[in-house]
Amino acid sequence: MNKIALTGLAVAMLILSGCSQKNPEVDMQQQQQQVSTADKKAADISGMDANNMDSGDVQSAVAKKIAGLEEKSSVIYFDFDKYNIRPDMQAKIDANAALFNTTEAKDLSIKVEGNCDEWGTDEYNYALGLKRAKSVKDSLVTLGVSAERVMLVSYGESNPVCSEKTKECWDKNRRADFKLLP
Amino acid sequence: MFKKLMTILTLTCTLFAYDATVEIVKKMDRLPRIIFQDASMSNVEQNFRVKFHKILAGDLRVSAHFEVVDDYLQSSYEGNLQENFMNDFKSDLILRYQLSFEYDGSILAKVKLINTKDGQASFEKNYKISVQNRYPFLAHKIAVDVNNEIGAPSIKWMEQFVIFSKYTSSKQSEIVISDYTLSFQKTVVKGGLNVFPKWANKEQNIFYYTSYNNAEPTLYRVHVNTGKREKIISAKGMLVCSDVSADGTKLLLTMAPKDQADIFVYNLQTKTLEKITQYSGIDVNGNFIDGDKRIVFVSDRLGYPNIFAQNIGSSSVEQMVYHGRNNNSCSALDNYIVYSSREGDSEFGSKTFNLYLISTQTDYIRQLTATGKNLYPRFANDKETILFIKEFENQSALGIIRLNANKSYHFPLKVGKIQSIDW
Repeated sequence: MNKIALTGLAVAMLILSGCSQKNPEVDMQQQQQQVSTADKKAADISGMDANNMDSGDVQSAVAKKIAGLEEKSSVIYFDFDKYNIRPDMQAKIDANAALFNTTEAKDLSIKVEGNCDEWGTDEYNYALGLKRAKSVKDSLVTLGVSAERVMLVSYGESNPVCSEKTKECWDKNRRADFKLLP
Repeated sequence: MFKKLMTILTLTCTLFAYDATVEIVKKMDRLPRIIFQDASMSNVEQNFRVKFHKILAGDLRVSAHFEVVDDYLQSSYEGNLQENFMNDFKSDLILRYQLSFEYDGSILAKVKLINTKDGQASFEKNYKISVQNRYPFLAHKIAVDVNNEIGAPSIKWMEQFVIFSKYTSSKQSEIVISDYTLSFQKTVVKGGLNVFPKWANKEQNIFYYTSYNNAEPTLYRVHVNTGKREKIISAKGMLVCSDVSADGTKLLLTMAPKDQADIFVYNLQTKTLEKITQYSGIDVNGNFIDGDKRIVFVSDRLGYPNIFAQNIGSSSVEQMVYHGRNNNSCSALDNYIVYSSREGDSEFGSKTFNLYLISTQTDYIRQLTATGKNLYPRFANDKETILFIKEFENQSALGIIRLNANKSYHFPLKVGKIQSIDW
């Protein structure tokens, strides 16, 4: 028993201290010495290359576009223990499909995240969340969104937007969210 | 006539006694009454003494093989006429223990079990545990040995490690190794979403878990002795290891490679996947049965979650449960299936989720819980004990059911919500 307890602690310490290997250390001094004068010069002007322009601004522009599109997308809500698209959610699906097919969005991938309320066993809820995401994907594809652009993930009950123990709160957690990816 | 009736009744009771689905309401034999005497050394502080006594007394109560007297008593370890008989308590047994803290951080325990009929020790043993915060396992070990000493059915399950995942906030969960009372807890995986831990072997030195911290959900295997972590497989959508074969070479996985949750057998030696279920709805929570040739699982193929069985390699599916309208989690051991069933017409009814036990060989159904949300049942190896998640009054707890004694206990988690469990 002592051994088992000891090994339990051993793994805890090892995992907490990091299971991944250390990053390989690079000898920067040696690399710098090998760079020729011409290479050094080229490196000095690399900031002027049009293909290598301030990448921070480019990323933030895409991120801004994605944030704007995600804000315009509508969350799809589901009934208790169900994964079919409710009639009152169809208009939102239509609007999302139109949004994702705009010129601005058509080059982006779409991640549909299925979520559940806190009722039930979590393994079933992960599968239920996935079915909700799948229902949304199928509807989007029917409306002309390319299936190749859509990926699914389920978070079961792990990603609530509301934590109160009320019907209104549980209603908000049974949902599919949209994330856009470059 | 009366004699015949009594004979039939006795025979029926005897036959039923072998069926765990039948509740044993009345026990004929009186349980041995036991008191505890703390004879610890002076370097053991008072609050530690109280905690240790509480766990030890709790263990013997949960065993259901003793009538436990809760009074906290102190004595000398050698004992005297008064201490060795304790007539005022009318007990049958005295469990006397002496704890001492050592220089190296270990705890030593000297333990004796005294029969109050003659004041003599029938059992005496010394124990050591190397780190102080592991003292719950010291108490559990003593309880297991004392229980064996009186010839009661084994409670060795108390020494098992429980592994569980707990949600700490949105998309954040940690994996923790604990004892069954949650008195000992050690977080072994943290950072991001880490769910569905599952022991890989009986020795409990390897476990699997799913990480949601990569591009796709990824199943890892962690070696407890070395801390080595290996990637086993990743999959789109969802990934859960719900069971491990007896020889440890095959896993039952719930995966959705085509956006559809189905159960697969993953062969760790050949690294191949075999799809078992084919239904286009939800199939989850696979458990090996019948020598790992068959599985029981949860499916919504009738329009609601229920428990089914299927031979591996066959498409023929058998409905196992004909009760309830939402049976969303199950565990199987030999001929028994325990499952969680949602009750009431809506989620707002006074009843919520209860556990039920069925035998695959009889028509009996036994209700095991009556209040709260009782989820994720898991059998111990002894078939008499079930671990489960209990949620009540906004608190998450580990529950223990002792089937033969018809008793259940729960041990609340102070922070977080239990996501899944294994032991």
